[in-house]
Amino acid sequence: MKLIQIKSVIVIALFMLLVSGCSKILEEQPRSIYTPEFFKTEKGVLGGITSQYAHLRFIYGQPYYYNALETGTDEYTYGQSADGNHKDMDLSGVGSLTPTSSRSDVLWGTAFSNINTASGIIENAAAVGISAALIAEARFFRAFDYFMLVQTFGGVPLDLGAGELKFNTTPSRKSVRNTVPEVYTKAIFPDLLQAINDLPATGRVTGGATKTLARLYLSKAYLTYAWWLQNPNNIPTYPQTARTDPDGHDATYYFQQAYNIATQAIDNPGPFGLENTFYDVHIGGNDRNKEMLLYADHTEQSEFYNGAPITGFQSEIGNDGRNAAVWFVTWNYTNIRSAPNPDGTGAGVSSVQREAAQGLGRPYVRMAPPIGVFTNTFAEKTLDSRYDGTFNTVFRGNWPKGGTTNATLYNANDMPVTPGQPILSFLEYESQAIGIVYSAGANFTGKSYSNVGAGRLPGRADFVVAPRGISRLMFPNLWKMGTYRTDNGTGLGQPNAPLTRPFKIAKFSELYFIAAEAAVKGATTVAGKTARDLINVIRARAGKWKFSNKDNAAFVVDNSAAMIAATPATIDVNYILAERSREYFGEGLRWFDLVRTQKWNELAGTYEICGPNAGDHTPLTITRTIELKHYLRPIPQGQIDGMEMTAEEKAAYQNPGY
Amino acid sequence: MKKFSILKVMTQQLNLRSMRLIVPLLFSLLLFSVGAAAQNITVKGKVLTEDGKSIANASVTVKGTTNGTACNDLGEFQISVPGNSTLVISAVDFSTREVKVNNQSSLSITLPALDKALGEVVVVGYGTQRKEAVTGSVASINGDKMREIPAPNISQALQGRIAGVEMSQTSTRPGATMQIRVRGTRSLSADNNPLVVLDGIPFLGSLADINPNDVKSIEILKDASATAIYGSRGANGVILITTDKGAKNRKPRISYNAYVGTQEVFSKYPMMDGPQFVALRAARGQYNNGQDEANDINTDWQDLFYKTGLVTDHNISLSGGTETGSYNFGLGYYLNQGIIPTQQYERYTIRGSLDQQVGKYFRVGFNSNTNYNQSEGNQVGLYNILSMSPISTPFNPDGTTKRIIRMAADDQYVFTKDVVEQLKDNDQWLNETRGFASYNAIYGEVKAPFIDGLKYRVNLGLDYIQSNNGAYTGQGVGNVNASTISAASVDNRYNYHWTIENLLSYDHTFAGKHTVNAVALYSSEQSKFNRSNMSAQDIPADAFEFYNLGRAAGQITIDPANQDYQLWGLQSWMGRVMYSYDNRYMISATVRSDASSRLAEGHKWHTYPAISAGWNITNESFMQGVNFINNLKLRAGYGQTSNQAIAPYATLGLLSTRPYNFGPSTYGTGYYVSQLPNEDLGWEFSKTWNFGLDFSVLKNRLSGTIEYYITKTEDILLGLGLPPTSGVTGYTANIGATQNKGFELSLNGTILNNVNGWTLEAGFNFYTNKNKLVSLASGQTRDEANWWFVGHNINAIYDYKKIGLWSSAKDTADSYLSILEPGGTIGMIRVLYTGNYDPVTHKPVRAIGAADRQIMDVDPDFQGGFNTRVSYKGFDLGIVGIYRHGGILVSTIHGSNGYLNLLTGRRNNINVDYWTPTNTDAKYPNPAGPISNDNPKYASTLSYFDASFMKVRTITLGYDFSRSLIKSSNIKMRMYVTVQNPFVMFSPFHKESGLDPETNSFGNENVASNGFAIPRRVLTVGFNTPSTRNYIVGVNLTF
Repeated sequence: MKLIQIKSVIVIALFMLLVSGCSKILEEQPRSIYTPEFFKTEKGVLGGITSQYAHLRFIYGQPYYYNALETGTDEYTYGQSADGNHKDMDLSGVGSLTPTSSRSDVLWGTAFSNINTASGIIENAAAVGISAALIAEARFFRAFDYFMLVQTFGGVPLDLGAGELKFNTTPSRKSVRNTVPEVYTKAIFPDLLQAINDLPATGRVTGGATKTLARLYLSKAYLTYAWWLQNPNNIPTYPQTARTDPDGHDATYYFQQAYNIATQAIDNPGPFGLENTFYDVHIGGNDRNKEMLLYADHTEQSEFYNGAPITGFQSEIGNDGRNAAVWFVTWNYTNIRSAPNPDGTGAGVSSVQREAAQGLGRPYVRMAPPIGVFTNTFAEKTLDSRYDGTFNTVFRGNWPKGGTTNATLYNANDMPVTPGQPILSFLEYESQAIGIVYSAGANFTGKSYSNVGAGRLPGRADFVVAPRGISRLMFPNLWKMGTYRTDNGTGLGQPNAPLTRPFKIAKFSELYFIAAEAAVKGATTVAGKTARDLINVIRARAGKWKFSNKDNAAFVVDNSAAMIAATPATIDVNYILAERSREYFGEGLRWFDLVRTQKWNELAGTYEICGPNAGDHTPLTITRTIELKHYLRPIPQGQIDGMEMTAEEKAAYQNPGY
Repeated sequence: MKKFSILKVMTQQLNLRSMRLIVPLLFSLLLFSVGAAAQNITVKGKVLTEDGKSIANASVTVKGTTNGTACNDLGEFQISVPGNSTLVISAVDFSTREVKVNNQSSLSITLPALDKALGEVVVVGYGTQRKEAVTGSVASINGDKMREIPAPNISQALQGRIAGVEMSQTSTRPGATMQIRVRGTRSLSADNNPLVVLDGIPFLGSLADINPNDVKSIEILKDASATAIYGSRGANGVILITTDKGAKNRKPRISYNAYVGTQEVFSKYPMMDGPQFVALRAARGQYNNGQDEANDINTDWQDLFYKTGLVTDHNISLSGGTETGSYNFGLGYYLNQGIIPTQQYERYTIRGSLDQQVGKYFRVGFNSNTNYNQSEGNQVGLYNILSMSPISTPFNPDGTTKRIIRMAADDQYVFTKDVVEQLKDNDQWLNETRGFASYNAIYGEVKAPFIDGLKYRVNLGLDYIQSNNGAYTGQGVGNVNASTISAASVDNRYNYHWTIENLLSYDHTFAGKHTVNAVALYSSEQSKFNRSNMSAQDIPADAFEFYNLGRAAGQITIDPANQDYQLWGLQSWMGRVMYSYDNRYMISATVRSDASSRLAEGHKWHTYPAISAGWNITNESFMQGVNFINNLKLRAGYGQTSNQAIAPYATLGLLSTRPYNFGPSTYGTGYYVSQLPNEDLGWEFSKTWNFGLDFSVLKNRLSGTIEYYITKTEDILLGLGLPPTSGVTGYTANIGATQNKGFELSLNGTILNNVNGWTLEAGFNFYTNKNKLVSLASGQTRDEANWWFVGHNINAIYDYKKIGLWSSAKDTADSYLSILEPGGTIGMIRVLYTGNYDPVTHKPVRAIGAADRQIMDVDPDFQGGFNTRVSYKGFDLGIVGIYRHGGILVSTIHGSNGYLNLLTGRRNNINVDYWTPTNTDAKYPNPAGPISNDNPKYASTLSYFDASFMKVRTITLGYDFSRSLIKSSNIKMRMYVTVQNPFVMFSPFHKESGLDPETNSFGNENVASNGFAIPRRVLTVGFNTPSTRNYIVGVNLTF
C-alpha cells in the first residue's frame, strides 16, 4: 500500500512536470547562429561593412572567374590541361559560351548579395549611429559591384525586390533588368560621388576604401560610360535603350569628367603614389604597398581569417574565397628532368621541383599566353623592366630543397648543372634561337632529360624555348602574381595550398591610364598632363630596374629617358591598350579593357601558339569568332532557372544570342 | 523441498560457470517468495506442438507461485504441485497456455505456435495488436531471425530481410551503419530517414548504439495508416525496436552468445601491376619515370597495407520473472579491428529492464540501454595506396622505409601497414571518436479499478547522447613537405532529449464479438543539441596529441561554423480506435495533432488523419469448408503524414559570416544575409494508399503478404536557391512534389517439415519502388544544378551517355568524328549525339556539347532478399542473401572523380581494358586520346555500371549440442560457423572488377576530386575501406 502511494506521488509529479514543461517548448531562440535581426544592431552593421571587403575574395582569386577575364583576350588562351571552362571562353571553335558554361556566373552570384548587404547598411546605419564615412564604404562597394556587373552583362536590376537600391528581405523570384544608363546614373555615379565626399583620404583599415579609390572608380566609370555613349563600332546594348544620357550629357562630357576626376586624384594622392620600380609593385612581401588602392586580402598568419587553407594539398576552389588564380597560368615545369649520369642517361631527376616560390608554384596548365604576348606586347624586353617583372622565364635547379642529393646533374648538351643554375629558359628574342634544336617528343633520343620537349642551343647547359616555340604546354610563368610565403625554410614549402598573398584589384597607376585614355578621346587636358605626359610617367617608371628575375640578381639601372624617348609622339587607343597590357598583364583587367574600347575582335581575333604536346614548337594561327553578342556575357543559367516567370519573360531577360 | 532444490541446482550451476562477480549482484535484485506447500501430487507431462512434436525446454510454472520446472529436450517434465493448481506452460515462439491439474498425474499439453496460429502480437506503436487484426502495413521480424546474420548493428542485420525496406551501405568502415529507406525516397533536401522508436520512446541516436543481441523484435511501419500515429515524423516510415524483457513466471536464465572471426579483403581494388602500368605509360607517352620509379619494380602497395581484421562479439544476459514481475539485464562487448591498419570500432553495452506489478492496479518498470563506443583510425584513407606507382618500392636499399615516393608528376607520402601503425604508436597520427549514449524509458501504469480494460500509463524517456572526437597529425605526417606543422582538433557533441507521454487506453470485448481498443495520447518532447569544436596548429610535443590544445605554439581556432546549438520541441495529441467485429471486419482510425517549435508562429500545429480496414475472409462462414486456406485477409488504408526533418530555426533566416583580414594581422568578421525568414513554412505531406493481402495456406506451410502502395508527397521542403538578383542565397520553402509507387511480396514456407528428420524452410521477398519527381518550383521541369528532373528519379544522373569508342579510322570518318569531336582521335569515348543532321549532307550540324547530356535513372527495377534453413538432427544450415536488378551503380573509381582511371600513367590506374591500336574492341578509351582536366574526355561516363547483383551474405552451419552431448534439460548450447560475404553473382560490375557491387560511399566521399560533382545522395563505390569476407565461429549458450 505504501508503494502504491509512492507511485501515485510519482505519477502526480510527472503530471506537474508535464504541465510546467510544455508552455515554452514551442518557442525558438537560436544561440549559435545569427538571424537577419542582428543586422539591425550596430555590431551587425559594422560586420556588414567587413563583409563588403570579404566579398572581394569570392570574385578576385577565384580561378574560373579569372579565366573569364583573361581567356579569349590577347593575353591568354586555353592551355594544355584546359577543360570546357577555358575552351568555351576562348571562342576559337573548341567550345561554346553558353549561359550554363560561362564563368561570369561567379561575379553574378556574388555581387547582388553584396549589393543587398550594402543597401542594408545604408538603410540601417543611421538608426544605429554609424558615421557617414563608414556608410560611404558601403556606397563604394555597391557602386563597385554595379560597375562590374554593368560592364559584364549590360543593364542589371536595381530593384532586388524591395524597390530600387533598397534592402531586400523578401524571397523575390522575379527580376526586371534596368538599362545601362540607369545603372550608371542612378547607382554608380551617385554612390561614388557621395563616397568621394565622405570617405577618408587614408583608409580606416589596412586596404580600406579611400577618396582616391573612389575617384579611380568614378573616373573609370565615367570613361566606360562615355565609350558606351559613343559606341564607335555599333555594338548592341541590352536591355535595348537609346544611347542617350538621362542627365542630358554626351560622351565628350563624360570623357572630360573622367579626365578631371582622374587628374584630381593624381593631384591629391593622399598616402598613395607610384612605387619606385615595377618590380617593387609585385615582389612578394610588398603587396600592400603605396600603389595599391584595393585588393582582396589574404594572410599567411591565420588560416581562419585567411578564409582558406594555408597548408596541404588543396583544391582550387572552395566555398571560402581562395586565391588560386595563378595556378591556371602556371605550366608544369616539374616535368623537367635532368640526367644523373654525364652521358645523359639514367633515371631522370626532377631538377626544378614544385616550390612555393614566386616564379614556380602549383602548375595547372589551364591557360597559356599566345606568342604575340612575347613578340608584340613585350617586344621590347631590355629597356622596359616590365617583361622581366611580369614573367618567370628562367627555371633554376632547386632539387636539394626537395631532398635530392645529387651535387651535379647533366642537362642540355650533357653539360653539368648545379643547384641554382638555369635548367630551362624561355629566350627573349627569336634572334637568340638561331640553331635551336627541339626534341621531337618529350626527350632527345637516348637521353633521360628534358621530358618536356624543350630545345637546346650549342654550348648552353640549359634547355631553351624560343618565343615562337611557346606552346599550350610550355610558357613563362606569371611571376608577378606567383606564390609568396615566408615559411619555406630550406625546403619547397607549401606550393599546393591556395595563395596567402592579397589579390591586387586596383592601383594608383591606373589613374594615369584613365586620364590618358580620356585625353585621347578628346578631353581637354591641363598643362603637363597630356596623354603622352601621363603615359610617360608610367613608362619612365617602367624603365627603372632594381632586380633581374632572369638573372636572379640585383640589377640597378635607369632606362627612363630611353623609355620616354621611345614613346610615340601621338598616343592612340591601341597604344594605350598595349601599354595597359604591359603594365597590367594577367591581372584580370584585359577583357574589360577590350570590351570598353570595343577593340576585342581587332586585337584578339587571331592569335598564334604552338600545339599542346611535348615537342610542338611550330606556331599555329588560331582564329576566334568574336561576335557582337559576346561583348555582353550571358546571364547565368542559375538566374534564369531561379526566376518564377514565363518562358517568354525569361527569354527576354537573357542577353541576345545566348 | 523441491523449490529449494531448484534454487540449489541453479546456484551450483552458476558457481560452476564462475559467474561469481556478476551473478550475486543481479540476484540481489530479485525477491524470492518461498511459500509453504499444500497437498502435493507429482505430475508428469509432455509438451507438444500442434502437429505432435515435442517442444524442448518449455517452462512450466504453477500459477500464482514461483514454483516451476522446465521440460527436457523431449518435451517432458515432472513437477510436484497441489492437485487443484493451475500450470502455466510457456515456450519461445509458442502461445502460453494455462492448464488446470485437476489431480491428474499425467498431462499432454499442446502449445499453438505463435507465428502459425496468427495469435502473435505485434508492436504497432503506443500499444500492441494481434497480428490477425492488423490493418496497416506492418512488417515484423524477431530478434533471433535477425541475428542469423552476425552483425554489429541492426541495419546490417536487416538488409534484405523485409520487403520495401532498403538498407544501403554508405560506408565500409568498422562500425558503420547503413542508410535506411522505407518505400523509397520522397524528400529532396530534407531528411529521408525513418523515425526510430526504441522501447516506445522516439530515438535520436545512431542505430550503432543498439546492440542487436538485445533486440527482441523489430516492427517496421510502412504505410501512412500505420505511421500516422507518429504524425509529423511518420512520412519516412517508423522502425519500432523492442528490446528483450524478462518473462513472468520464468526461472532465472543466463544466456551467453559470442562469436569471433577474421576479416579478409573481399577483393583488392584492381590496380595495375608493374608491367601493366609500364605498358599504360608507353601507350599514353606523356610521362617518363619519376626518380623513384623503375620499370623492373613491381610492388603491390595494397599487399603492403592491408592486414587481417578481427571481429568479436560477447553478450551475457540474465533474465527471469516472478508471478508479478520480470527483469532482464545484459552486458555486451563488440570489437572490430578492420583490415586497414589502426582502423577499429569497439562498443560496450549494458542493458536493463524491470517490470513490476505493485498490488492489483499498478505496474512500474523501466528499460535502459547504454553504450560506450570508440572508433579509431578513420583518418586513414586509401587513395595514396591505390594511386601509388607500382614501379616504385617503399624500401631503401638498406631496408629502411622511404618517406616519400617521387613519381612522374607527383610526390606521395608512403603509407604502409608498418608506417601507419608506427605513426600511431609514436602518437603522431590519431583520430578517435568516443561515443557514449544512454537511452532510458521509465513507465508507470494504473488500471482503473472499476472499468475493466481502462488503463492510464505514463512514459518518461530520458536520453543522453555524447560524442567526442580528437584528432592529431604530427609534423609532416602524410605531407610531402616534412616541415608541415602539426595540427590537432577536438570536437564535442552532446544531445539531451526527454519525452513524456500520457496514454489512456481502453481494451474491451463486448458481447464476445465487438472488440474495441482505444488509445488517447498527450505527449511533449524536447531535444537540445550542443556542439563545440576547436583546432590548433603546431603542437610542441607529439605526446600532447589532442589533449591540450592550449599548448599549441601556432594558431588556435574556434571556427563559429563548427559550433552548434539546437533546441527543438514537439507537442502532440493523438487518438486511435481499433475496432473488430467477430474477427472478421476490422477498422482502425487515427488522428494525431503535432505542434513543432521548428515552424513559424501560427503555423505550428497540424493534424494528421488516417484510416484503415481489414476483412478476415477466412473467418466468414462461407469459408468454413475451405481447408487448404488457413488465413486470408484483405487490407486497405489511407493516411497522411509528414516529414519534420528540417533544421530548427529554418523559418528565422540566417545571417552568414565571412572572416577577413585587413593586412596580415588585423582581423574582422563580416555578416551578410544569406537565408531569408519564411513565416509560411510548413511540413511536406505524404499521402499514402496501401492495399494488402495476407494469406496462409496448406496448414500454414506457406504464408505470405502482398502489398501495393502509392505515396504522394507534396509541399516538399526545399532549401530553395533564389535567383541571385534577389540579393539572398535562398530560403527554405515548400515546393514541388514526388511520388513513390511500389509492389511488395513476402513469402515464407516450410518445404519439408521433419521428413525423416529433415526440415527445410525458406523465405523470400521481392519489392519494387517507382520513384519520380512530379513537380519542381512553379512549372520548372529541370533543375540542372541539382540534377532534379520532373518525371525522373530523385536519384538521377545527368551526364553524357557513353555509346562506345570511336573505334576505327573508317568509323570515325563515316560517323563524323571531326564534326562531333573537333580534335578527337580514334579510340576516344563516343557519347550520344542528340542534335540534328544536315538534311542534304546528312552530317551532324554541330559538335557534341552540353545539350547532349542525358538524364539517367539510378533506382533498381526490383530487389529483395532470400533466406533458407535446413536442419537435420541438431545440425542446421542457413543461407541469407540479397539481390537487386537494374538501375545504375556509380563507381567513382572508374570515372573522373576517383583519379584512379586517369589512363595517363601519371599515377597508378585501375586495371582496365583500354583501347590500343592492337586492342580495338576495348571498353575503355585510348590513353593517347583527348584529355579533359586530368582525365580522358567524358571519363565520368566510365563510372556507370549495371547495378544488378545477387549476393549471399552469410552461410551458417550450426549444431545444437542439447541434442546429444548435454544431457541436462536446463542447458542449451549451439555452436556455429559462419562465412559472411562468400560470393557475388550476376553482377557485371563484380565480373569486371572483382569488387563488391554494394555501394560504400556517399556521392561526394572517397573521391579525389569533385570536378564532376555526383550529388551526395547518390550512393557510389569509391575508394573506401574494402569490403571484407568474414569467417566466424560462434556459440549460443543458455542455462
